[in-house]
Amino acid sequence: VSATAQVLQTAMLVTYLAPLLLVGVLAAAALVRRGGSETVTAIAVRSLLGVAVIAAATGLAVRLANPSVPKLVSYGTWFSFEEEAFRLDFVTDVPALCFALLSIAICGVVAAFSLRYMHREPGFQRYFVQFAMFTLGITLVALAGSAEVLFAGWELLGLSSVLLVGFFHERPAPLGSALRVFAVYRVSDAAMLSAAVLLHHWAGSGSLALVFSGGSTVAIGPNRSLAIVLLLLLAVAGKSALLPFSGWLPRAMEGPTPSSAVYYGALSIHAGCFLLLRAEPLLAGLWVARLLAALAGAATAIYATITARVQTDVKSSLSYAALTQVGIIVVEISLGWTTLALLHICGHTCLRLLQFLSAPNVLHDVHELEDRIGGHLAPGDRHILRSASPAMYLFALERGFVDSLMDRFVVRPFLVVCGWLDRLDRTLVGYGSGGTRS
Amino acid sequence: LSAAVLWVAAVAAPPLAVIALGRLGLAVERLRGVAAACAAACSLICAAVFVTPTLEAFRVAWPFPAHPLVGPSLFRVSVFSTFLLPLPSALWLVSVAVTPRSRLDAAGLQRTAGATLTATLAFMTESPALLLGLWTTSNLLLVGALSLTEHGRASRVARAYLWTGTAFLALGIGLAFGASGPARVVGFWLVIGAVLVRKGIVPFHAWIPEVFDAGRMGPIIRFSAPQLGSYVAVVLVVPHASAAMLRTLAILSLLTAVYGAALALVQRDARRACGYIFVSQSALVLAGLDCTSPQALAGSLVLWLSSALAFTGLTRTVLALEVRRGRLDLTRYHGGYEQMAPLAVSFLILGLACTGFPGTLGFIGQEMLTEGAVQEFPAMGFFVVAAAALTGLAVLRMYFSLFCGVRATPLRQALLRREVLAFGAVTAVLIVGGLLPRPVIASRLQASHAILQDRRELSSTTR
Repeated sequence: VSATAQVLQTAMLVTYLAPLLLVGVLAAAALVRRGGSETVTAIAVRSLLGVAVIAAATGLAVRLANPSVPKLVSYGTWFSFEEEAFRLDFVTDVPALCFALLSIAICGVVAAFSLRYMHREPGFQRYFVQFAMFTLGITLVALAGSAEVLFAGWELLGLSSVLLVGFFHERPAPLGSALRVFAVYRVSDAAMLSAAVLLHHWAGSGSLALVFSGGSTVAIGPNRSLAIVLLLLLAVAGKSALLPFSGWLPRAMEGPTPSSAVYYGALSIHAGCFLLLRAEPLLAGLWVARLLAALAGAATAIYATITARVQTDVKSSLSYAALTQVGIIVVEISLGWTTLALLHICGHTCLRLLQFLSAPNVLHDVHELEDRIGGHLAPGDRHILRSASPAMYLFALERGFVDSLMDRFVVRPFLVVCGWLDRLDRTLVGYGSGGTRS
Repeated sequence: LSAAVLWVAAVAAPPLAVIALGRLGLAVERLRGVAAACAAACSLICAAVFVTPTLEAFRVAWPFPAHPLVGPSLFRVSVFSTFLLPLPSALWLVSVAVTPRSRLDAAGLQRTAGATLTATLAFMTESPALLLGLWTTSNLLLVGALSLTEHGRASRVARAYLWTGTAFLALGIGLAFGASGPARVVGFWLVIGAVLVRKGIVPFHAWIPEVFDAGRMGPIIRFSAPQLGSYVAVVLVVPHASAAMLRTLAILSLLTAVYGAALALVQRDARRACGYIFVSQSALVLAGLDCTSPQALAGSLVLWLSSALAFTGLTRTVLALEVRRGRLDLTRYHGGYEQMAPLAVSFLILGLACTGFPGTLGFIGQEMLTEGAVQEFPAMGFFVVAAAALTGLAVLRMYFSLFCGVRATPLRQALLRREVLAFGAVTAVLIVGGLLPRPVIASRLQASHAILQDRRELSSTTR
């Protein structure tokens, strides 16, 4: 068993070191040669992501062949103070390894696709540095065994996502959208960090093994568990675009299509679901949390499926279609159907990835299909919805007014209060120093 | 002469040399070269304390009859101050390396050397009277830098606040260390008031964004970044203050941290946004210093180092951009990423270090602060998290505005190698510190235990 455990440990080390090395190599290449070299990038991406896929597959094979090998792999302590230790722990059970393998394999496929898609694009190197950051982030989220590793992965995921939304930074629209996405992610990150801190404080350890096994409910009591679960739900809602945070999703489509595919079709949008799936044992006995998760999931699914039907661009339509499934996955998790949820995540991830990657060809595909059948395809649900229920059509067209409601009740009050405080500050220093400045 | 006195003289010699050469009329670019060499030498001399056993805990005694206002020793390096000592000279080096030629003058270089000397000496003393003298000198240097006509408004605001703070400090020290009974308590409240003014804690914060906005960025950065106010809080307030005093200070600091971050987010001007980011960062440091938990205190000490470096780097990048583009309006996109990619990347990483992004030293500090704070005051952790979230948004908004978009006119000047090296070095220090934080944590924990030990020993006499 010890030799097998050694193999597993090595495989895990390689699995997350390869993306880390990729970030370093690509960043260094960009620094050494301005703009970087497409050849060097291609070699680094193919070789290191290939190695990571092999390592993750090896890890999963070892786990499936030897279920008795310890599920927690520890690489020691990152840092510690007093009794608090921030450990570099990784979970190597089957769900974690499945999601890690799926994530790295998808990143590999999308990276290979992107090498051609982004060929000679200004910012080619920048794209791949950010993409490598994403790969590292999703690997850490998939395998995290401690709250700190999870938080690091969560933050990397968010940052790389936002930078890629604003990838075409010559235009103001992607930048505005990226900032909007980041605002929601910050709420999600704050909730995640708060949950991690409370877990550390109450359980005396940031070990996620305790959470994933459901032991923390017993250890810290139901009320405290509920507080942590509610914060996790908030983090998941932000990252997976559940209501009321769904407004950022179509805005995130401003990035290059491969990054949209991997983030909002495949992995990033499922990262929250995966986290909730792992933390499902914590929901045991917390019916309030289950009910809230189910309500959030169901409301999001209904909202997204209506909205998806009237979108006028393929990426927005696909993103809402993906969100529908994400809502259903959350409902499944809240009902305790974790195996179904894991299968749903894996299957849905692959389907949406394929649809997103082929999205730029959709007109070509439709025309080819119409040529072959010798007529026009049937019009979509859009027209049916418009004639059947104009109110619902308007609701869908305005994307459920989520953005405008958020603007009205969150953004605008915040800006008004801050503007008033800013004026107050200016007035305060204005007295006796030459009048108030505008 | 003892080794300690010689060492103090060696620390003081490089800044004094720059001041003297400036007075002698050395050409500005040559003086910059000398200043850079002196700053590097001063950093090394300050760092020598780590490898020289005789300097690890030295004291230079007060040669005359003891007086409570002077304290038991004139200079004293403790486990708390060892890590802080190289900070002013490191910031001096960065400042000299990246100050644009158009903003460089001999008087400015001398003032920078003087500010470094003042901050370094301050970090070596626990004597209330000497601290008051150095505090006043540092105020004079800032006010002197703002003496030009075009900074009249900033100068008036700075003078009003700084001299009020100095009056609080002088009176406070007099009462706290020279009187007894209720007057002593009033004295400590006055010292706290002085710290609040100096660090721009609500409701005494408004002067900092104003000086950033209407004054000169370089002098206010070098005035604020070492955080002399925090040092005074640790040396004069924390060991003696009652729990109520510390709690009040912590609550005000936490409110300020969130307030500063929120207002940084809505600013229309890059300078003012920098001012509010400083207000928020500085308040976070002070919030932890007012905790009686060793973890929170140590976290705050780590955050002190991290925010000093990150904030200096961040504001210096803004200054480097301003020289090339003029006043930076955050309501539009300025472009130029392709020409200034290293500066843009440095800006983003330095900004993220301010927000406690994983992989930077800021993360370690904020994590320790939050963990420690939650243990004794759970709401405090959420304030820290909220401040970090808002600062992150403010930094990204600035990044997009300053580096993204289409540049209408070509840049006046490409990035210089010394600028790339300086910003790269600061960024690297923060990342290395974040990935390998153990030595910093061990030292700061040791310091926090020493501070709290002092507090326990002195608490009975204060209360």
